[in-house]
Amino acid sequence: MGSKTEIFQPPGEEAPLIAGNPDFHAVTDKISRISERKVGRLWYIGISISGSLAVLLFVSIAYLVWEGIGVWGVNNPVGWGWAIINFVFWVGIGHAGTLISAILFLLRQRWRTSINRFAEAMTLMAVTCALIFPGIHVGRIWIAYFMFPLPNQMEIWPNFRSPLLWDVFAVGTYFTASLLFWYVGLIPDLATLRDRAKQKFKKIILGALSLGWRGGNRQWKHYELAYLILAGISTPLVLSVHSVVSTDFAVSILPGWHTTIFPPYFVAGAIFSGFAMVMTLSIFVRKAFNLEDYITISHLEKINKVMLLTGMMVGYGYSVEFFIAWYSGNIYEVFTFVNRAVGPYAWGYWTMICCNVLVPQLFWFKKLRTSIPVMLVASILINVGMWFERFVIVVSSLANDFLPSSWAYYKPTFWDISTFVGSFGLFFTLMLLFVRFVPVIAISEVKGVLPQADPHHHGDAGEGGSNG
Amino acid sequence: MINDRKNLTGKEYWRSFNQLAETPDFRRFLDQEFPEIVSENGHGLSRRKFISLMGASLALAGLAGCRRPVEKIIPYVQQPEEIVPGIPAYYATSMPFGSTAYGLVVECHEGRPTKIEGNELHPSTMGRSNAFMQAEILNLYDPDRSQKVIKNGAKSSWKDFVTFWQGQLEQYRGTNGEGLAILTEEFSSPTLYRLARDLRNNFRAAQFAAFEPIADGHLSGDIFDKPTADFYCDYQYDKASVIFSIDSDFLMTEGESVIAAKRFADGRKISGTGNSMNRLYVIEPDMTITGAMADHRMRIPRSKIGSFVGALAFELEKQGLNTGLADIVESFGSHNFDQKWISTLAKDLVAHRGECLLVAGRTQPSMQLIVTVLNEALGNTGEIVKYRKTDSTASLVARSEGDSIGGIIQSAQGGGIKTLIIFGGNPIYNCPASHQLSEVTGNIENIIHFSTHVNETSQKANWHIPRAHFLESWGDTKSAAGTLGIIQPMIEPLFGGRSDAEFFELMANGNDKKGYDIVRETWREILNGGNFEKKWRRVLHDGIHAKNMASDDKPRLNLNRDNRRYLSGALKASETALSAANLELTFQVSPSLYDGRYANNGWMQELPHPTTKLTWDNAACISPKTAQELNLKSGDVVKVSNQNGEIEIPAWIVPGQADYTVSLTLGYGHIAAGRVGSGVGINVYPLRPQLNAYFSSGATITKTGKTYKLASTQDHGAMEGRPIVREGTLEEYRKHPEFAKEMVEHPPLTGIYPEHDYSQGYQWGMSIDLNACTGCNACTIACQSENNIPVVGKERVLEGREMHWIRLDRYFTGEVDNPEMVFMPVACQHCENAPCEQVCPVAATVHDAEGLNVMTYNRCIGTRYCSNNCPYKVRRFNFFNYTKDLPEIVRMAMNPDVTVRSRGVMEKCTFCTQRITRGKIKAKQEGRSVADGEISTACQQACPAGAIVFGNINNPDSKISASKKNKRGYGLLAELNMKTRNTFLARIRNPHPDLVDYDPDAG
Repeated sequence: MGSKTEIFQPPGEEAPLIAGNPDFHAVTDKISRISERKVGRLWYIGISISGSLAVLLFVSIAYLVWEGIGVWGVNNPVGWGWAIINFVFWVGIGHAGTLISAILFLLRQRWRTSINRFAEAMTLMAVTCALIFPGIHVGRIWIAYFMFPLPNQMEIWPNFRSPLLWDVFAVGTYFTASLLFWYVGLIPDLATLRDRAKQKFKKIILGALSLGWRGGNRQWKHYELAYLILAGISTPLVLSVHSVVSTDFAVSILPGWHTTIFPPYFVAGAIFSGFAMVMTLSIFVRKAFNLEDYITISHLEKINKVMLLTGMMVGYGYSVEFFIAWYSGNIYEVFTFVNRAVGPYAWGYWTMICCNVLVPQLFWFKKLRTSIPVMLVASILINVGMWFERFVIVVSSLANDFLPSSWAYYKPTFWDISTFVGSFGLFFTLMLLFVRFVPVIAISEVKGVLPQADPHHHGDAGEGGSNG
Repeated sequence: MINDRKNLTGKEYWRSFNQLAETPDFRRFLDQEFPEIVSENGHGLSRRKFISLMGASLALAGLAGCRRPVEKIIPYVQQPEEIVPGIPAYYATSMPFGSTAYGLVVECHEGRPTKIEGNELHPSTMGRSNAFMQAEILNLYDPDRSQKVIKNGAKSSWKDFVTFWQGQLEQYRGTNGEGLAILTEEFSSPTLYRLARDLRNNFRAAQFAAFEPIADGHLSGDIFDKPTADFYCDYQYDKASVIFSIDSDFLMTEGESVIAAKRFADGRKISGTGNSMNRLYVIEPDMTITGAMADHRMRIPRSKIGSFVGALAFELEKQGLNTGLADIVESFGSHNFDQKWISTLAKDLVAHRGECLLVAGRTQPSMQLIVTVLNEALGNTGEIVKYRKTDSTASLVARSEGDSIGGIIQSAQGGGIKTLIIFGGNPIYNCPASHQLSEVTGNIENIIHFSTHVNETSQKANWHIPRAHFLESWGDTKSAAGTLGIIQPMIEPLFGGRSDAEFFELMANGNDKKGYDIVRETWREILNGGNFEKKWRRVLHDGIHAKNMASDDKPRLNLNRDNRRYLSGALKASETALSAANLELTFQVSPSLYDGRYANNGWMQELPHPTTKLTWDNAACISPKTAQELNLKSGDVVKVSNQNGEIEIPAWIVPGQADYTVSLTLGYGHIAAGRVGSGVGINVYPLRPQLNAYFSSGATITKTGKTYKLASTQDHGAMEGRPIVREGTLEEYRKHPEFAKEMVEHPPLTGIYPEHDYSQGYQWGMSIDLNACTGCNACTIACQSENNIPVVGKERVLEGREMHWIRLDRYFTGEVDNPEMVFMPVACQHCENAPCEQVCPVAATVHDAEGLNVMTYNRCIGTRYCSNNCPYKVRRFNFFNYTKDLPEIVRMAMNPDVTVRSRGVMEKCTFCTQRITRGKIKAKQEGRSVADGEISTACQQACPAGAIVFGNINNPDSKISASKKNKRGYGLLAELNMKTRNTFLARIRNPHPDLVDYDPDAG
């Protein structure tokens, strides 16, 4: 194909979005084949590990339901422990997908096409993991449905003033919108797979899922409008969901929680951690499926830049919290923040600062932000740091609040850890199933950013789009 | 937001032991303040779980058998007149406790006692109670109580025993009781006195001794002109302006503590700036709640107390008081104690002649005599100190030297005892080192033990007879102050035990009679002069024989040569210097297990020690300085040894402990207490040199290198400079009556939601007077009993999951080594702007129209968000199903008016909503509104100090309204705009002007 010739480069763009200048057919073939051919041993090894961990999650949940919340390390001052930390952590990770799909779409950031599909998938999987935790962390899981405004003969309604209820709606809406957005984006690609499918069973399934897509002009016109509208709907949700999650803390009166900066600070943190997770996954996916041409260093560099920015926003949040605590003159606030830095959980606090504030500073250097090993380690550390951020917020504030008499140290138990590790198992299991059965890159969108898709294109690269 | 507190109180709160020094140790200590909470094996088969499982199966096997009588489960064909299902009935009875008794009123639901209160008519309680009284309900339903007569390890029957004993009796009648020995615990009952006299007279040659590991320590009449009598000292704490306590924890572990706490608090409470209050000086080796109430406290090893009193007497002489001991104390002019402290104390006492009070504890029997002399010299006798002749089991039964536990052991060693009857008690467990009873048990043919539990002593006996609980028995009591009371059964003996009177009647006279008849026989004499039945019914109704209240005696002091020599010897107590290599062991009466009798009571095991806040264990308490010198940390297991033996016990650092003393709490370390108490803590009785010895010098401590996890309910003892417990001196209070409110400055408090109008109807409120609260824990147990609060076990306490609805927060303030200790009872504050209510997603916790913050357990899904958002952290979560494994019999202790909470729900103080409802229903039926004082919460009713006031704040004439108007009032964390319905009255200290902020730490 036309790899030898000069690549068309629109003005203002540094490098081609897709390297290797493939034609439309090559794109289709390359990406579809990932889910069509037999998978390798690595995939089986991966899913057996992650599947086992997912089983661990369900065993942990079963034990929890059987015995009670007491199997966790939560105690009297520290009523929320790892479950809520994990919830916020996973919801945060679930931010990147919709941000990439919706906000970057509206901002016409065309580099998003290579990563939006699995970023969205990652969002869904992460939010699925997140949704488990508020469900199981309640004392009486069998009546957790009291949280929903179900009509009942006693006319008892949930308490609409409680941020936990807002969570139910915010996260529920976010999950639904993300799912729809992801699915709508999938339709043309599912149709492509359907058309390429050979087994009858696959044809039927994919036929049903692609909703009769034929790729007609009218269909494209409606499709793109629908996609735009969904992007428009999803955009505020990206900002709202973590803002609402942050109100779980901000609306309380606890020093260290009762902070007006929380909504923007949580959203920045969520984007930060979400992009870090996208980065970690991208590195593996492009390596495993030879997608280096589709997910280029340039893509990764852009993600790193976003992390640099959001990392500094988070760092700003940390410093402003301290400043305001001091400025307020409120002894409880001052104590809480000083205690975070020097108290019993100082190790958690400094882990957070190192990972979230210091590590992203590496990306000021072009050499480092284009180095795969550096970004891999950095992205993992950032997610470690973001988990510790939630740990510090949830635990250190609760453990040492107003009355020193009730202070206590919180320590997780085996079941706290197994549930958390198990949630990673579930996440990776779902991700592995996703890469196995669904095109990991949006075929139709990638084609749209190829040079030959441009109507003004008159170069000689590629042999035309009719082979798609 | 905090004003400069120094201007107000001149007192600085310290963070931790070593903060002032700011040494590296301090940092290390701060780290240690947050001990790692490890649940070793916590979620597998824990000890608690194992024993409860075992217990449950035992209970199923055992209980089904004894509660079977079929005719008793037939429903009422004719409704008994007095029993209305759902309406509790109240009966008066009394609780024997060593050589005294407490008057009780017991709440019974359908014939099932569920709650104990003090009897207002009984002078030893006056309607108040203490933790021991409250805990008796759980003792009644203890499934580990013995359930059958055991003969040589096999099941036998009462009938067999009667036959056996009647045979024995014939033999001993012939020999006048030769070879028979009777060891009895202290009792105080007209019927038992009568029968003991019978027993004594029937067997003149028998050895008959009374044994109590913690004797009530009545004053010996030797000091008076009546040497044969014992005297009860009736101290009028309420009338004294200056009180000096010599190693007496009269607010808690001394006898008659309920009435002492009431009187002390009465003399302490101030309603306005014009009032005066008493001043308390305390010297003691270990930090007690009495020491916490002190205006001036000096920590002194127990062995040095005598010298201190000598020095004080010398000082009193110097200041012109004729003590009558001038020749004895002349050598006390020079001493190591703080001269300023002593002279100020002496000055204060002399200045308050006739209205001051010296009191010495039971740990200081000889000081009691000197105190008697000094009280007389100060003119306190009569008004402040009253004496009343009292009975003592020991003096009743003892005729010769052999009539002591030592005498019995000696005879047994020579094989001179064939039959030993042990009435109650547990001497094998709590005998001091010098009385190794267990070694001679092999020489005795028959040992008969009458006991509620198959305990350590029963295991050595070949006859074990189950003893009924006093709530199942007929009996009578005579309190130390001489009040005659009646014990009437509330329920049939659950396990077929026999009452004290029945057993004694059999032992003494060989008759198997009903307890009812035996007691009535005694009372026919007491209620003489005809019309017995009517008088008897009156006594049953009142619980006491009100017509026959004891009167004071006026014995004259007798300072003859013998007495003077004795007093002189008592004052010249050991003067060897204590050091890290020569420690003094001080034995402490357990504030929760007493002498060990409450060991199998889960409530008491889980009741935090007032000072250490330890549950489920005792420890070797040492001062920070001693710990530093011995290089010990809290939780280090140490070997404590003295001339009597050695034990391994974890150390615990307690501020305020006298240096080089090791405080050991008695009552722990049973091997056969039952499923709750066996193996909990360490038995320290073997280190006790002799009976009624409360200290022993020459002890050493060595580190073993092992550590042990102690479950403390409060890890952090400093207030961090926060205005939590607010206190000022009397002078400050008079200058700034509202100093407590002024301690916190805050912007105007407004909320974003419109506030509910609470100006109509009943509006419940509470006020807790920190000036009266002594920190005695009675409220905690009363609440636990009233509100079916589960016991969670040591592992759960370690995890921070104790369930008490009202807890006593304890803080240390002031100097590191010699701090002051303050208490604050914290329950739900019932905020009008409750932060818990706002965050509950399912509206399970809401406000009612009467201002109560209520919990709807059925609605609660257990998010624990309310607890997180509660600034007082008073909400308690059911992390597990704590009641699932409760034996059936223990469930009978539950209050049917209060829901038993299931796993996964939040619970908390309700202001005893069930009592409020009952009161309202009663008032409504009678067509009136609830009168002030008609409804009381369980904590309020129990509080011996009367520190808790509860009522309708909309009633301007109510006590609560008056208390809310008190200028000392403040709301805890009021700056958060909680609008709490519970408020506190700031604590006032009354230091002597010469000793303000004076640290007497002489060591």
